[in-house]
Order: sequence, then C-alpha cells, then structure tokens
Amino acid sequence: MTLADMQFVVPDLRLASAEIVVLAMACLVLIVDVFVQDKKRTLTFALIQVSLLGAAVATLLTSSGQILYTFNNMYVGDLMGDLLKLCVYVTVSVVLFYSRGYVNDRPQLARGEFYVLTLFATLGMMVMISANHFLTVYIGIELLSLSLYAMVALNRDSVTSTEAAMKYFVLGALASGLLLYGMSMIYGATGTLEITAVAEQAFNGQINRTILAFGLVFLVSGVAFKLGVVPFHMWIPDVYQGAPTAVTLFIASAPKLAAFAIMVRMLVNGLLIASADWQIMFLILSVLSMALGNFAAISQSNIKRMLAYSAISHMGFMLLGMVTGVVGGDARFALNAYSSSMFYVITYVLTSAGAFGMLTLLARTGFESEEIKDLAGLNKRNPWYAALLMMMMFSMAGIPFFVGFFAKFSVLQAVVAAGYLWLAIAAVFFSLVGAFYYLRVVKVMYFDQPVEEARVVAPLGVKVLISANGLLVALLGVFPNGLMWLCAYTLSQSL
Amino acid sequence: MEFKTFVFYFISAVLVFASLRVVTLKNPVHAALHLILAFFSASGVWILLQAEFLAIALVLVYVGAVMVLFLFVVMLLDINVDRLREGFWKYLPLASIVSLLMVAEMALVLGGTYSGLLESDIPQQDSQYSNSKALGRLLFTEYVYPFELASVILLVGVVAAVALTLRGKTKSKSVSPSEQVFVKAKDRVRVLKIPAEARE
Amino acid sequence: MLTLSHFLVLGAILFSVGVVGIFLNRKNLIVLLMSIELMLLAVNMNFVAFSHYMQDLAGQLFVFFILTVAAAESAIGLAILVVLFRNLRTIHVDDLDSLKG
Repeated sequence: MTLADMQFVVPDLRLASAEIVVLAMACLVLIVDVFVQDKKRTLTFALIQVSLLGAAVATLLTSSGQILYTFNNMYVGDLMGDLLKLCVYVTVSVVLFYSRGYVNDRPQLARGEFYVLTLFATLGMMVMISANHFLTVYIGIELLSLSLYAMVALNRDSVTSTEAAMKYFVLGALASGLLLYGMSMIYGATGTLEITAVAEQAFNGQINRTILAFGLVFLVSGVAFKLGVVPFHMWIPDVYQGAPTAVTLFIASAPKLAAFAIMVRMLVNGLLIASADWQIMFLILSVLSMALGNFAAISQSNIKRMLAYSAISHMGFMLLGMVTGVVGGDARFALNAYSSSMFYVITYVLTSAGAFGMLTLLARTGFESEEIKDLAGLNKRNPWYAALLMMMMFSMAGIPFFVGFFAKFSVLQAVVAAGYLWLAIAAVFFSLVGAFYYLRVVKVMYFDQPVEEARVVAPLGVKVLISANGLLVALLGVFPNGLMWLCAYTLSQSL
Repeated sequence: MEFKTFVFYFISAVLVFASLRVVTLKNPVHAALHLILAFFSASGVWILLQAEFLAIALVLVYVGAVMVLFLFVVMLLDINVDRLREGFWKYLPLASIVSLLMVAEMALVLGGTYSGLLESDIPQQDSQYSNSKALGRLLFTEYVYPFELASVILLVGVVAAVALTLRGKTKSKSVSPSEQVFVKAKDRVRVLKIPAEARE
Repeated sequence: MLTLSHFLVLGAILFSVGVVGIFLNRKNLIVLLMSIELMLLAVNMNFVAFSHYMQDLAGQLFVFFILTVAAAESAIGLAILVVLFRNLRTIHVDDLDSLKG
C-alpha cells in the first residue's frame, strides 16, 4: 500500500458508544475520587453504578441485530456480543453491591482505586467481547489482567494476597507470551491479523496448514490459561484463596464471560477451518480439568480453594460444548453445541457470583469466613442464607431442578448428538464425584453445631439482591427455555 | 558470504549468547545488563529487517525505561544471591535437553517452510520511503482504537503502581487530640513489681 | 542469502531460552520476569520478520503495541514484587508457601 492512496474513513463511533461511556466515566471517577472525603466512598460507588447503567443503555440502543464492523474492522458489534456485555454489566454491578460491606470494613481496599480498577477491568472485558482483530483481543486481555493483578495485591500488607498476585502475574505474563507466539504464527500463516480475514484466507485455502496448526497450539494454551483449565490452572486455586474475597468474587464471575467470548471469536469465527485440531486439544483439556478439578476439590478445607477447583471442573465441562461443534467436517450441530456452552457459562457465572457473594456477606471485620467449618450451623444463625447457599451448591452439583442441572444436561445432549457417548459418561461420572464435596458444605451448614454465634448483617438492598440471585438459580432451572433460546438466537445471528 | 548475512550471523550470535547469560548468570544485576545487550542486538536485527522505528523504540522503551526499572528494583531490594541459585544445577541438564529439543522441533517446522522466501524477492523501497512515517500514518488512522486502548493500559499501569506502592505521608508530626484524650495511664506506663534484694 | 527462516529460527531459539530460563530460575522471581521479557522479544522478532517478508505493516504495529503493554506490565509486576518483598523480606520462590493445598 502506498501512502498516497490511503484514505482515512472516520470510524462509526456510535457502535462503540458503550466502551466510550465506560472509559469516560472511569476517567471522571478517577478525578472525582481525589476529592471524596467520605471513608465509604459512596459517591465513587454510585458513579460506578451509573456508568454501568449508562453502558447498558448504550449497548441496548446500539444493538441492531446485524453484524457491524467499525474501527477498520477491529471492532465487531453483534447480538452475541451485546448479550454477553449485558451479562457483564449486570454481574459487575451485582458483584460490587455484594462486596460493598466487605470493602468498607477493610481500609486497605476501601480506596477509589478498587472501584476505578473494577471499571477498567470491565472495559477490558468489553474490548475482548467485541474484538475482531488479534490486536484488540490481546489489548483487551491485558487491560483486564493488569487491573486484576493490581486488585489482587490491593490488600498490600497481607502476605497471602501479595503472594497470590505475584503468582498470578508471573503465570499470566507467561500465558500472554504463549498467546502472542501463537498469534505471530497465525499471522505468518495467513498474512493477516483480522479475525474475519483470517477465516476468509483459511477458507480460500491460501494458507500454510503446518504453521497454522503450530500457532494454534500456542493460541489454545493462552486461551486455556485465561479460562483456567488443566494444565494451565495452577493460578486459579492460589489466586482464589489468596485474593481478598471481594476480589475473588469479581475474578470468579464476569471474566469467564469474556474468556468465552474470545474463544468463540478467535477459534469459531476465525479458525473454524482448523476445528479438527483445536477440538482435540480442548477434548484433552476438558477431560483433564473435570478429573483434576473434582478430585482435588474433595480434600480442600478452605471453601474459596474448594470453589476454585470447582471452577476448573466447570470450565472443563463448558469446553465439552466446544469440542462437539464440528463432527467429521459436518457443522450441523455446531450452533446447538456452542449455544449450550454459552448457556453453561452464563449460568455458571450467575451461580458463582451468588456463592462467592454469600461468602463475602458472611465475612466481617477481622473475620474472613474462608474455611468450610466457618459455615457450620449457618442454618441456625440465618436459615434463609443457608437455604440460598444450599441452592447455589445444588446448582453447581447439577442436582435437578436447579439451573446447573439444565446447563449440564444441554451440554451433554450436544456431546451425545455428536456421538461421543464415552465422553458423556465420563462427564457424568466426574459430576457425581463433584456432588460429594458440594453436599458436604450443605451438611456442614445444616447438621453441624455453630462455632460462630454472630448474626449475619447486610443492608436490605443486598439481601434482596442475593435472594433474587438465589431464586433465579432455582427459577432458571424450572424455566430454562427463555435463556436457552436467547443464547441460541444471538449465536445464530452472530456466527 | 554476503556482508548482510555476515552481519546477521554476528548479531544473532551476540543475541543468543546474551540471552543465555541472562538465564544462567548468578547475579541479577549482571543478568539485567546482559538483557540490555540482548535488546541492543535485537534492535540491530530489526534494522536489518528495515524496521527502523521499532528498533529505536526497543532501545528507548526497553533499555531506557524498563531495564532501568528492573535495575532499580534489583538494587533496592536486598537480595540473597546464593539462596536464589538453589536447584539451578539440578535442573540444568533436564532444562538444556528440553530446550535443545524445543529448538530442534521449532526449527524443523519453521526452517523448512519459509526457506524459499528470499530477501531478493522483496521489492526494494524507494529512497523516499520512511518506515516511521508509514507506521505513524497507520497508527493514527486505522489503528486509532487500539491506540486509545493502549493509553488506557498505561493509565492502569500508573494507577496500579501508585496504589500498590504509595504509602502516604508518614513524616507528619500532628497528633490526633481524640487519641490523646483517650490515652490511659496503663497504655503508657508499665509498673513492674521487682522484689527487693538484700544487700551483700 | 537471508531467508525468512533465519529470523524465525532465531525467534524460536530466543523463545526456548526464555522458557528454559523460567525452568532454571524457578527460585528467582526477578530473573523469571526477565525470561518472560525474552519470550516477548522472540514474539516481536517473529512479527517483525513476517511483516518485512510479507510487506505488510500490521505486524510491526502489533510489535509497537506489545512494547507499550509490556512496559505497563513490568511496571505493575515490579510494583507487586516490591510489595511482596516488604511483606516477606525475600523474593525466593520457596518462601512463597502460604498458599498450598
């Protein structure tokens, strides 16, 4: 390309208005927070909620149902992205409500930086969800990760928090290196970094298959790290346990949606041609994650660490849907399989936010409520909270008729339809193993004597919110069709 | 051998040597200095590839900023060098085998595929061509979205580094009156009962 | 005559040295971070080489962004390292043992 014939087209900024709202508000919060005297940072908190609301309105207004590109095809706006973004806003908003009490009890966390970094991390997730270029994928990941590293270490006088942050940082930087090496190979094989153009090049057959497969190995490793599946899971237990519970709550929820989005963008939108290669890699990762996650969770005494291993096994289960999209070159079941994965990840985020949110509410000044035995006799202290936490545990265990059951059921349906009967049986077996440690938590809550007599206090709004969260887990289990249809419809409009 | 090829092999040899020293040296300060050498050599290789802007940016950003930061941190922290070397010799044989295998495999994949692509196949740029200008044109037009986001990442870097390491003022001598009022005698004075001893 | 393979193999060697550095210096956080920088250098080498041989500036622009992000990343990484050192008085990986299970 010579310089003379290069025409600059002003990008369509309307499409990215949600990102612009969040970025502008983040800068505003950064300035306003300097002048906030209030120890509880009520104004900062309110501004963050307003910006999430503004982003949601912007996303709804710009959602058109078509696949639109802007910023020289680096940004894509489609229904799948809109749905995932709305889920991210709701999750982040709810997560902040849950963690408000926890944060206010701890002066190290109750700083403007906590809220600003949350907003920057949200922006990173939005960039990931709308990425149509390997560069925007990378920048989104880094924006999210850098904010998260800092949030984990924000409790800077705690040895465990800083240690967790260091481990997270080293492994995260390593994963970024792997991801980038994969991207460079795919650039070499296809001559472009734009995801839709990669798909075009690959479809026209003008590519080097060896180099593509070589790059794919590194790319899948990088994505696997971000999802936290075996053997790239080492950071998950340490970070979940070491981070302050409010930060764990954040890490364990919304970023999973963004990781799912980049997986779909890069592998399904871009490299579907190499699906045979990446499906087999995901198959191995998935089985290993379900096995290691479920067995390692049994021996844990710390509930955050237990839920971390549970997260590994859930992400492994979710990957099953990605494994079974294309069977022998036939993509008939692809939509079904990918939408079941999407349903799985959305409902998992809902459940995980509820479970960690409950742990955050149970923690007080000087008491962390991290061990499983800290939950002993919760039923006697507060029967309603015990019932809510029981619903979350039942849903994660996949007991009918909670939403986790339907998520697992729809993924298994896709697996069986693709003809992997043995895989479905293995998945059911590992889920049964998993049910054991979830039920142990329920047993401790209902049948053990309380060691702790303090009443659980939370503002009315938060009580309503967590009750709604718990009831949603139960209700979606009875009426899953609406969300299921939404996932299938948005995906069908976006692929 | 053509002169350019000779230069490539010479710089690459320095680069590989320096990078090997980075991972094998005992003293982190020496490792950091070798990393600087590695970055210098890499920027030389990039000049061969006609990427002048990046070659200069690498030296400015990495040698000028990142490595100075590394050196500062290494020198600020009082590190016990000997303990850091534990297990080094134990892992060395395995690590060198793994690395040789990796290099061999990657070289097989990469070496064969692109060995046909010669330097002479590339059209020569005319003398008016400026790499920096071309990059700049693209950066501020087509790449404006990632460019803005990169600025956000730098902002996050600043916010995070300050939030983690700034400890606020400690030199202030002001005393909180309420704390003074609430001080009790037993907080400040400890009365010890020591049994009297008889004189010799 | 220099071919694209020359540069790619150089990148592969650097990448492997970086990975091995992570293996060898598992005890030493600061050299661990330097090994990661070496890996990124290898990636950059690949991008610049592909970009030159394909006459496409997208690769070089990607490198520009990697350099930017890596600078921010090492600032945060070193900040975490300093905070950790304040708490533990060590950067020896074996002393990072409060999280086990």
